[in-house]
Amino acid sequence: MSARPAAAPLLVVRDLAKTFKAKRGWPVPKTVSVRAIDRVSFTVERGEALGIVGESGCGKSTVARACLRLIAPDAGEVRFDGLDVVAAGPTELRGLRRRLQIVFQDPASALDPRQRIADALGEPIRVHGIAKGREVERAVERLLDEVGLPPSAARRYPHEFSGGQRQRIGIARALALGPDLIFADEPVSALDVSVQAQILVLLDQLRLRRRLAFVFISHDLGVVRHFCQRVLVMYLGRIVEEGPVPAIFEEPLHPYTRLLKASSPVPDPEQAVAMNLQEGEPPSPVNPPPGCHFHPRCPFVMERCRVTAPPLTEVAPGRRVACHLFE
Amino acid sequence: MSALAAVAVVESPSSEPAAIAVDGLTTSIRIAGNWYDAVRDVSFTVSRRETLALVGESGCGKSLTALSVMGLLPAGVGRISSGRIVVDGVDMTAATEAGRQAMRGDRIGMIFQEPMTSLNPVLPVGFQIAEALIEHRGMNRRAAQKRALELMELVRIPAAGQRLDAYPHQFSGGMRQRVMIAIALACSPKVLIADEPTTALDVTIQAQVLALLADLQAREGLAVLLITHNLGVVASVADRVMVMYGGDVVESGPVKAFFRRPTHPYSEALLAAMPRVDRPSEALAPIPGQVPTLPDMPSGCRYQSRCPLRIEKCAERPPLNPLPGAPEHRVRCWVRAP
Repeated sequence: MSARPAAAPLLVVRDLAKTFKAKRGWPVPKTVSVRAIDRVSFTVERGEALGIVGESGCGKSTVARACLRLIAPDAGEVRFDGLDVVAAGPTELRGLRRRLQIVFQDPASALDPRQRIADALGEPIRVHGIAKGREVERAVERLLDEVGLPPSAARRYPHEFSGGQRQRIGIARALALGPDLIFADEPVSALDVSVQAQILVLLDQLRLRRRLAFVFISHDLGVVRHFCQRVLVMYLGRIVEEGPVPAIFEEPLHPYTRLLKASSPVPDPEQAVAMNLQEGEPPSPVNPPPGCHFHPRCPFVMERCRVTAPPLTEVAPGRRVACHLFE
Repeated sequence: MSALAAVAVVESPSSEPAAIAVDGLTTSIRIAGNWYDAVRDVSFTVSRRETLALVGESGCGKSLTALSVMGLLPAGVGRISSGRIVVDGVDMTAATEAGRQAMRGDRIGMIFQEPMTSLNPVLPVGFQIAEALIEHRGMNRRAAQKRALELMELVRIPAAGQRLDAYPHQFSGGMRQRVMIAIALACSPKVLIADEPTTALDVTIQAQVLALLADLQAREGLAVLLITHNLGVVASVADRVMVMYGGDVVESGPVKAFFRRPTHPYSEALLAAMPRVDRPSEALAPIPGQVPTLPDMPSGCRYQSRCPLRIEKCAERPPLNPLPGAPEHRVRCWVRAP
């Protein structure tokens, strides 16, 4: 990957890795290591929504946290608009925080219950010196308006809002500093369908209006198909497939992507979920199987899948798959 | 209401009495000292070998309906104001609490969303399965343990023999839900009530658990009342569906007919708000506003505050009317099913 200054991506992540140590077992705990992310590489363009899908323990949230330096990665590189995020000092990091933001699944736990919305939104604006005094109030009002809340919301506390409204507040807070990229970690998973659609429409408007980029983490393939332009599929810490949304959903290549799609329920009785009684237990990230991590569940498993991990290989422009079937 | 009861009888596919029969159930809950109807005049039956799905968003009354059937409404906060619930021949509404307790876990199997909160973290799973048999069937410990092993094999827990003495935290989410299913089925009930049984699970694990439930239902001839918010799950596993909104059943019918022709404006809006994995993305149509809280519920049709088709008559509560030519497909709407 050579630097192409003309169309440099907004975010470049290369060979990012993170292993957690955990104590497991009783009465004598043993230290085990969990390789949460294993040499993950991807890019995000300006104004683009990149989806990361996968199931519990696949490392999708760890990717977001490592890119934001909420946790320190063990290895790899994260470049945001040319700046080295991993090596950034305190001053640079402060600047980066303005441009890189996160929206969590449960805004209730991300908001201080005793802080009025005016302060929750005004605080970052004041701290980063974007506005002062009366100006802060006006900025808060504009933010509330942008996420579809009335100005009166500023005087209220988080518990006075419904789940959907609280997520609007979470989004407003992420917008407060005018970011270029928002990591959205399961932002609509806790919401009812009708409210989820409201939030997705809002996020899409923001993406287009502000030319915001998103890394959109979700376990729901339908939501990702709707919101994102490109998608990464992760399985036990590794990217197994990557490509443009239409191609991946029309014709998923990796057997895991196919399984995910076939398992996702569709509101059509003619397309019942592919239900497989025989399928075994998914392996734990503590002790992933050798070779391709997916091989114990794969219907196309070959001898070498048990031994060698397939590299992520380009099979079509912009389309990469890590599977021995496609080498 | 009498018309409803008449239809309910016709609906039962065989001469066998329905395993669950709910007639005119109204459940109220207390908010700040006042009682509000959170489930209004709900009637349905579930026969053996049949799955009825209750579907709707948070606060629509689907879980309260299930809790009413199980007799698990929190005392002092929830109560059944009217209606009759008969499960496996026993009138739950007339029974004493001891009588209902004897039904639960014996003739009514129950599964909830989060198995970790239903399982006891400090007891081995084998014992927790055996407990139902000791409690309800008076089995001795040894026989109960033996049966527990068979049940763990029935729900396809791998290496069941070695895991009888394992604790819940040693199981994955999907395996814990299998343990819950084993407990629910321990006493061979005819009725299974499953409240969001796969909501906390990953999709591939959800598919496995749904497959297991379908397989067990066929083998044991269970009547299943499935509570879910997921219309995709409904389409995959249910025979009939009831859509609830604000405590009212707004639409009910056979699954195929419902998805072919969702008719209530709320059903239609729910489907239009759902991003789908099987289709290229279209513009989502969110439902404007939000569900009113119980004290703020409009009288008449409860969906009127969000409904694009609202007419003056909606101030009056519409009946659940059959659609022309489809007597089993019923809709509560003055515009769509006058």
